[in-house]
Amino acid sequence: MRGMRTKPVRTGALCLGAAALLAVGVGSTTAMAQQADTLSVGVAVGPQTMNPQGADTDSNMSIMTNVFDSLVRRDNSGDLQPDLATSWKRIDANTWRFHLRKGVKYQNGNDFDWKDVKFTFERMKNPQVSEFLNFGALVTSVKPVDDDKWTIDITTKEPVPYFVQNLPQIFIMDKESTKSRSQGEVGLHPIGTGPYKMTKWVKGSSLSLDAYDGYWGKAPSIKHVKVLPITEDSTRMAAISTGQVDLLQGIPVKLAQAIEKNPNVTLVSRPGRRSIFLQLGNKEGTPTADVRVRKAIYLAIDEDAIIKNILHGHAKPASQIPDPPTIGYDKDIKRLSYNLEKAKKLLKEAGYADGFEITLTGPNDRYVEDKQIEATIATQLSRAGIKVRVDSIPKAVFFPKVAEHKVDFYLIGWFDGAYDFGRTYAKLLHCVDDKAGYGGTNGASFCNKDMDKQFAKANSIVDPDERAKALQKLNVMAAKQVAFIPLHYQEDDYAVSKKSKLDFTPRADTWLVFSQMSTGQ
Amino acid sequence: MINYIGRRLWQGLIVLLIVSFISFAIFEFIGDPVITMAGRYATAAQRAAVAHAMGLDQPFYVQYWHYLWNVLHGNFGMSYIARVPVLGLILERLPATLELTFVAEIFAVFFGVTLGLLVAAYPRSIISRISMTGSLFGVSLPTFIAGVLLIFVFAVQLPWLPPSGRGDVVHVIGYWDTGLLTVSGWKHLILPAVTLGLFQLALLMRLTQSGTVEALQADYVRTAWAKGLSPVKVLFKHTLRNVLIPVVTMVGLQFGQLVGFSIVTETIFQWPGAGNLLLQSIYNSDFPVVAAYITLIALLIVILNLIVDISYGFLNPRIRHG
Repeated sequence: MRGMRTKPVRTGALCLGAAALLAVGVGSTTAMAQQADTLSVGVAVGPQTMNPQGADTDSNMSIMTNVFDSLVRRDNSGDLQPDLATSWKRIDANTWRFHLRKGVKYQNGNDFDWKDVKFTFERMKNPQVSEFLNFGALVTSVKPVDDDKWTIDITTKEPVPYFVQNLPQIFIMDKESTKSRSQGEVGLHPIGTGPYKMTKWVKGSSLSLDAYDGYWGKAPSIKHVKVLPITEDSTRMAAISTGQVDLLQGIPVKLAQAIEKNPNVTLVSRPGRRSIFLQLGNKEGTPTADVRVRKAIYLAIDEDAIIKNILHGHAKPASQIPDPPTIGYDKDIKRLSYNLEKAKKLLKEAGYADGFEITLTGPNDRYVEDKQIEATIATQLSRAGIKVRVDSIPKAVFFPKVAEHKVDFYLIGWFDGAYDFGRTYAKLLHCVDDKAGYGGTNGASFCNKDMDKQFAKANSIVDPDERAKALQKLNVMAAKQVAFIPLHYQEDDYAVSKKSKLDFTPRADTWLVFSQMSTGQ
Repeated sequence: MINYIGRRLWQGLIVLLIVSFISFAIFEFIGDPVITMAGRYATAAQRAAVAHAMGLDQPFYVQYWHYLWNVLHGNFGMSYIARVPVLGLILERLPATLELTFVAEIFAVFFGVTLGLLVAAYPRSIISRISMTGSLFGVSLPTFIAGVLLIFVFAVQLPWLPPSGRGDVVHVIGYWDTGLLTVSGWKHLILPAVTLGLFQLALLMRLTQSGTVEALQADYVRTAWAKGLSPVKVLFKHTLRNVLIPVVTMVGLQFGQLVGFSIVTETIFQWPGAGNLLLQSIYNSDFPVVAAYITLIALLIVILNLIVDISYGFLNPRIRHG
């Protein structure tokens, strides 16, 4: 019973406690003696598996990317760089050619070759181990094209314009040791070609990485890394203020200000990739079928107030779903500014002068302050006469509801790991077609045939620049239709202890790539 | 006695069966693991393929039967998230939880019983008054607040103890790595153990106190005083033994609850125990981990209750097991 009672008290009292923890910048005497080549990192969500392809969540890939290499990787600024492939080219709509790197050795001594690439792509299709089933299903063959077998062609069953953009998430595995070990072993003891070896993993406590001597690339300057998952916000803050960790990922917006005030710690922020927005349906006969009503909802939401009051300024207003580096982002799409009078006028024109009732569904444990945002939107919309019933539910219930298209109006967040708006569109806004795999996350069954045509047109274009333009046009069409209501981009906040002199650049994908960091001694 | 134990074992088995059924049934209603497992770009057909590969497309009773059958063979299945065998995931975490709970229990019993006796024997002393008032806080202060406060005072303000984690461990045997053999292990253990044991301490103290007040008026205690025995002998030999029966019952029953409360404590202090794993697994709809955890904890509690029942006989020879 007592366990129950703690819940409601938590938020208020806890924040007080946490803020107090931070306000005092106590000298860190409990800190372990730090060596220049050692780094201790606190994360809000720890890694849960070391099974590549077994997790498409960044908290897992963030750590695995240090142990594994992919054919192509991204540097800190988000540009594609050679990794296990030295170069690549799209030779026709369905075929990609890769030149593989020679002389690469796995951490168990095995040599890397084309068979590992083939094996990895086949493994992606196995529902027992893979969370990349959709991407895996697109690949029809992986085979060498020359005698020495260091050049390979990967063929897809349909044109996949974002193919290479998605490769940084696909970690190449050693065929021999993956096949000879059990699935459990593979998920616990990773063997990759990357700059670090995983040496110890006490789940829920710490994961240790040590530099791998046989790494083919430049040896990292940080030799030993310890990753500590610390789930509880206030405890995580205590870890950075006592010097238990040098770098902390996942600063709650409520506590960012306290971090800024702490003299021993620097707050490092960057706009996050994930945008938060509202989706709604346009089924015949529902109020939101009328574009004027959708626009009225947009106009009645005071996003600036949400950012200021709920997110403490740690978010950027959004005008569209994709973030700037995503192909299809259009900088000319501007946010409609808050205008309650105009919203009321539009509702009147649409025949809803007295408003209407609608249910806003959204997760309460997924995005930054999601529940509070949902409640605030309901209040704001009530000023325009729209009665909103809020249904904030756990993500484990919310996402299945969306996948079953059982919601009318909902809050969701998105970013595309392959930086492609086309892929986002197919999943979120395309008319629902379960057979073809379109609209899987289109929970309110929004449907616009003209936009779908534009999407199909964009997908048939091979030239990347032309395709980008077609996707931008699609994005503009979606904005005109008010196919969704953009809210904001979340912000990624980190804290760095000044004593560590850590040279750290936060990445768009939020991955912690330790080989790109150094402690400036 | 043998008969009695046999009957209790049989009852325990039925309890386990019911618990496993409930823990299994709950998951019919919360969350759908397939959506995460197939990846967010999966099509409906790919999701169906995952459901099929995991046997989740089978009717409920078939799934439950498979689960029971596998559990009887020591196979608790694969985690949906980590995609590794569940039993190993829980067993490697269980020693941390048990060490924390065990130390918290000892802390609670030692201070609870001692203070309870003292308060009853010397109700007017300063220590007694402080203890009685303090116990009110112990009972009513939520674990969460207590934990955060302790971190604030002893890790941040006075940097004596580390705020979170388990420290260095020494490998003992099998899945058991212990933190009880290293200095750093104990340093990390103090704050969570105190947090976890606080409620129990206050409860035991009040229980011992009221039991002792009653016992002190009993004839045999008066006789003991009259014989001129030393206060230590009267209090610890004659009084305590009689007071201990409800205390032992309480400790036995509450040990299970401590394991339950440890979920909160483990989360605050990032203690790498099974409770921490359970919470994560619930968030992630990682059903095999949750079902296995609940079944294992139920087993533990059934065993503990059996031990408590048997120990009555030793504490009070008048209790006979028929």
